[in-house]
Amino acid sequence: MNSSTPRTGRLADVEVGRRGFLGMIAAGAAVVGVPSLLSACGDGGGSAPHGAAAPSAQATVSAEILPSYIPVEYVKPDYPSVQGSTPGFEKIPASFVQSVPTPPGSGQTFTAMTPLWGTIPPVDGNQYYAAVNALLGSTISFQISDGNTYGDKLATVLASAKDVPDWVCIPTWNIPPRFGSEIVPNLFQDLTPYLAGDKVKDYPNLANLPTAAWKFGVFNDKLYALPFPGEIITDATFYRKDLIEAKGITVDVSSADDLLALAKELTGGNVYGCEDLWITATQIFKVVPKWKLEGGALVSRFETQEYRDALEWIAKLFAAGVVHPDAVAGNTGEAKTRFQGGQSLISSDGLGGWHEALRDNLGANPGYWQQPFAPFAADGGTPALFQGNPVNIFSFLKKSDDEARITELLKLADVLAAPFGTTEFDVINNGVEGVHYTKDGNGLPVPTELAATELQPTYTFLVDPPVAQTRVQYPGFVEAYSTWMADAAQYVEEPLFFAMQIVEPPQYASLGQPFTDLEKDIARGRKSLTDLDAAIATWKSSGGEELRAFYQEILDAQ
Amino acid sequence: MTDARLTEDAAAPQPAASSARRRGRSARSGVPQRKVPWTTRLRRDRSLLLMVLPAIVLLAVFAYVPMLGNVIAWQDYSPYQGFLHSPFVGWSNFERVFDNPAFLTAVENTLTITLFQLVFYFPVPIVLALLLNSVMSPRVRTTIQSIVYLPHFFSWVLVVTIFQQIFGGAGLVNQTLRNHGIDHTVSFMTNPDTFLVLITSQAIWKDAGWGIIIFLAALTTVSPELYEASVVDGANRWRRMWHVTLPALRPVIVLLLILRLGDALTVGFEQLILQRDAVGAGVSEVIDTYVYYQGVIYGDWSFAAAAGLVKGVVSLALVLGANKLAHVFGEAGVYQRA
Amino acid sequence: MSGTSPEISTEVAVLPQDLVAEGTGGRPQRPRRPRRNKYRPVWEEQPSVAGQVTKFVVLAVVVLAVLFPLWTVVVTSLSTTQESIRAGGLVVVPGDLTFRAYAQILSGGVVTRAALVSVGITLVGTVISVAVSVLAAYGLSRPGSFAHRPILFVFLITMFFGAGMIPTYLLVSSLNLIDTYWALILPGAVSAFNVLILRNFFMGIDAAILDAARMDGAGDWRVLLRIVLPMSKAVVAVVALFYGVGYWNAFFNAMLYINDNTKWPLQLVLRSYVLQGVTLPGSGTGQVDVGSGAVTGMPVKMAVMILAIVPILVVYPFVQRHFTKGVIFGAVKG
Repeated sequence: MNSSTPRTGRLADVEVGRRGFLGMIAAGAAVVGVPSLLSACGDGGGSAPHGAAAPSAQATVSAEILPSYIPVEYVKPDYPSVQGSTPGFEKIPASFVQSVPTPPGSGQTFTAMTPLWGTIPPVDGNQYYAAVNALLGSTISFQISDGNTYGDKLATVLASAKDVPDWVCIPTWNIPPRFGSEIVPNLFQDLTPYLAGDKVKDYPNLANLPTAAWKFGVFNDKLYALPFPGEIITDATFYRKDLIEAKGITVDVSSADDLLALAKELTGGNVYGCEDLWITATQIFKVVPKWKLEGGALVSRFETQEYRDALEWIAKLFAAGVVHPDAVAGNTGEAKTRFQGGQSLISSDGLGGWHEALRDNLGANPGYWQQPFAPFAADGGTPALFQGNPVNIFSFLKKSDDEARITELLKLADVLAAPFGTTEFDVINNGVEGVHYTKDGNGLPVPTELAATELQPTYTFLVDPPVAQTRVQYPGFVEAYSTWMADAAQYVEEPLFFAMQIVEPPQYASLGQPFTDLEKDIARGRKSLTDLDAAIATWKSSGGEELRAFYQEILDAQ
Repeated sequence: MTDARLTEDAAAPQPAASSARRRGRSARSGVPQRKVPWTTRLRRDRSLLLMVLPAIVLLAVFAYVPMLGNVIAWQDYSPYQGFLHSPFVGWSNFERVFDNPAFLTAVENTLTITLFQLVFYFPVPIVLALLLNSVMSPRVRTTIQSIVYLPHFFSWVLVVTIFQQIFGGAGLVNQTLRNHGIDHTVSFMTNPDTFLVLITSQAIWKDAGWGIIIFLAALTTVSPELYEASVVDGANRWRRMWHVTLPALRPVIVLLLILRLGDALTVGFEQLILQRDAVGAGVSEVIDTYVYYQGVIYGDWSFAAAAGLVKGVVSLALVLGANKLAHVFGEAGVYQRA
Repeated sequence: MSGTSPEISTEVAVLPQDLVAEGTGGRPQRPRRPRRNKYRPVWEEQPSVAGQVTKFVVLAVVVLAVLFPLWTVVVTSLSTTQESIRAGGLVVVPGDLTFRAYAQILSGGVVTRAALVSVGITLVGTVISVAVSVLAAYGLSRPGSFAHRPILFVFLITMFFGAGMIPTYLLVSSLNLIDTYWALILPGAVSAFNVLILRNFFMGIDAAILDAARMDGAGDWRVLLRIVLPMSKAVVAVVALFYGVGYWNAFFNAMLYINDNTKWPLQLVLRSYVLQGVTLPGSGTGQVDVGSGAVTGMPVKMAVMILAIVPILVVYPFVQRHFTKGVIFGAVKG
């Protein structure tokens, strides 16, 4: 009997499950891979059938359909936003303002489908839900789905119109094919008549959302999506400041060679300098996410010199023996564990990993600290950080002729988008005082045991206020975070086709796949740059040139 | 009526476990077949048909109706437009499956892995079952069984992690070597050349223990009198095994072998994806991962359906072929010429 | 011969001989009384010392190869997050031990309810599957019967051609089975592989017995229930085990078809514990952390694994009991 034993009564599971890749891989591996999946899928990641709207038509966004931007501030940030960086708050205000004075709901129940990477909260007697529903005035009944297999769930539900709930959350990395061209206009509600321009004034918290976030939710020149705004920088390279300084080393890295040298210095015994630093390589060598303009012509990422340089460097890194063997063996899922345990001292991660590491480690290891490198370029010059999508997760309302229904849902969204400093934000994020948290001596909320079961991210997957760093419970964290990002923000650049919902024709979807494998092979010395040349030639002949023409058309229409 | 079926029953191939005699008689040796009209047979076998009915209904509804969905292999399928309105594209999806150079690598790897595991993995549960059965004390036997099947329930992620922990670059083996000053690093987990051995040993570790269960069940069908009789005839251990035990296992082994051959194009998915980066796609790309990376993650259902159909047709052909081969060796196989 | 001598009790008599090489060749030896293993049947020779040792070594290696990683899994599940981080993942040498991971998983009632759901589905599903499969297997075990081959092929085909995820979902949805427990039982109720196994065993039953029964006037149902089934306890137990494990471990169908979180089976809920502590892109801001101080990472994953295994460990001995009962009715085959 072979190891996948599909025959022993689990035929449906495994046959189907084989398609649910993300469901098969344990948590860490899947998500650490997500940044690379994001770049592989590209902006939007959807695909159009033959005969879809012309590329240029898809990507246009008329200014009139976007909601006006009317910022509202309830608390002054201690570290204000600099060029789009995340503002930081050092204190939780003593009292909150209720931004929506009367709960706008009419007492109905709406169904919502959201993913979850965490433990399923109970529904009966859940005081958290009760509290939020009280603020809303209506009930949102969640159909929570396993985060790793959410793509499969979406694919099936969206294929069966009668099973689509009222409010659907769609992460940008799970966008199904033909999304923009068929699914969106047919299944979801066009929000332009409700939110465009000054109409958004009816929903003050929604008006507070940045325009770029709205732009990303525009399909075929109509606004459809409610955003979960993202940060301008999503990934950073961290180092274990506490452990490294304990060795007497001062970290001063401003070039690729410096980084390599540092990693070498740190390797010894059972400790390795770093994890797989491919994302770092692409950042410091300024590799564009998809396309670049060189002399008026579009050059694909894979053809650029920067890509080659990054590959050369990563091969050097691996060859130097400074990469932890488990990472070499592809076990990136446990990279965090190794990094936090001190078996490797440099690792790239999402910025969200920073506070999570503090959460998990400060308790037992109060001296724990990880710090991101200040951005630098491989050659020591000016770094460039290409901005990722302005939105990573968005949500859609089911199409309905009932204006009152849509208006009510938008009013509920207005409540959910209440920013920091409001009662709503406090309840949604912390729960009920005394039940889900207690205030300690410094006024900081300390979660109770009940919070672990009842308080899980659900409403946050529907719509969110603009980004803000409010994790005051970790000493020094907000300051470090906000100042780092404020400094890094000056190097942020918008790549070509930034924030555009472009649907590539499906036959080109897998063109980039060989390069993903090549990146791994070259890093580990199994292949060389000559193989890269061959891959580029193949890419060109099997659709790359057509893809170039496709994007050129979009570019020309701008 | 009863006579006719009796005749036919006697004409059926002798059950393999029934005797220690030389077999190889053809199924219908010398017994005259009476022509029985089908209406009679229908009436005679109505109980049997009734018995099969519930399963057939379930399969018809839950296996066959959705199977019609494979029509998307010939379409440019869009879930929104559905099966009826997605445009028809002829064989282009099938072409796309074969077109890619990665496909040949995938097929090559798949067949290599299947063959290797057929030789090195398939016999292991059988050997273990025989070994375990020779343990006298039932309590010891049960304890060992209960331990040995446990890895079957570990996820592949855990299995690979465990192997990594022991054989990995930073694992126990290498740490011990380093602590004793030996410079050599064991790179079992990342060496493409030993990949076959690696995945086979993982498969053995994970599933061999579970695989013995069915053989143990088969071994219980052997009547003790046969052993006694053979001992009286002067058979020692080995001859008893050859003439009594193995023939008892033979039908099950043949059945599993045929089904395994039918499954030859499926050699594991999770296990290979988890270790793809470690050894490179060159040795770890198999048909299932190929289909996955070319189509499934991009939601290209038509591509996946086309590939699935190709696999199904080839697998079916393999099973039919293997079955015929079994007949040549005098075995019943999965089905016979009725 | 229906031996009732104590040395050939049905419990132990069906043990085949050892694989050990016979030292002296050919002739059975007299049992050496003082050191005779009480489980050894009368007719079996004493194995050689070399044989015993080899057997012991091989089995010991096999058992250790499984026990050592199992030990690691258990120890890790009992460790704190910090301990597992310090060890780089799996903990081999126990350090700080705590039941925190288990307590966390088992509190809140979500897991207990999911366990009940799973138990229900497994029981009902296994009974249905086994009943349907046994019937079908017997119905297919007479090679001359009406439409024998076509029906067999109906089963065989399902082993090679599957349906896609979306068509199956659409079917289940159109039957209004979404959010019902039947969606977790019916689609996978029949496994052609298990049916073939049963059929294989049924066909191996000595035809003479069945013919004798039929000559006495018994119909097919009688033969199945009174004769075949009692003789096939072992294989039915095995198939029941396979189905049971399949239902117990299933999560993907539940993920697709069950929207109501209170109806989730155990595996799906347990998986969600494994997913905790995952960093999402863009999750750097927003809420204050929930569950600070909760155990995350490896200990939780290992605890989940152990919790999933425990029920099988409990059930297996009952199945195993059927493996030692031999064929009582066995007449000498001609």
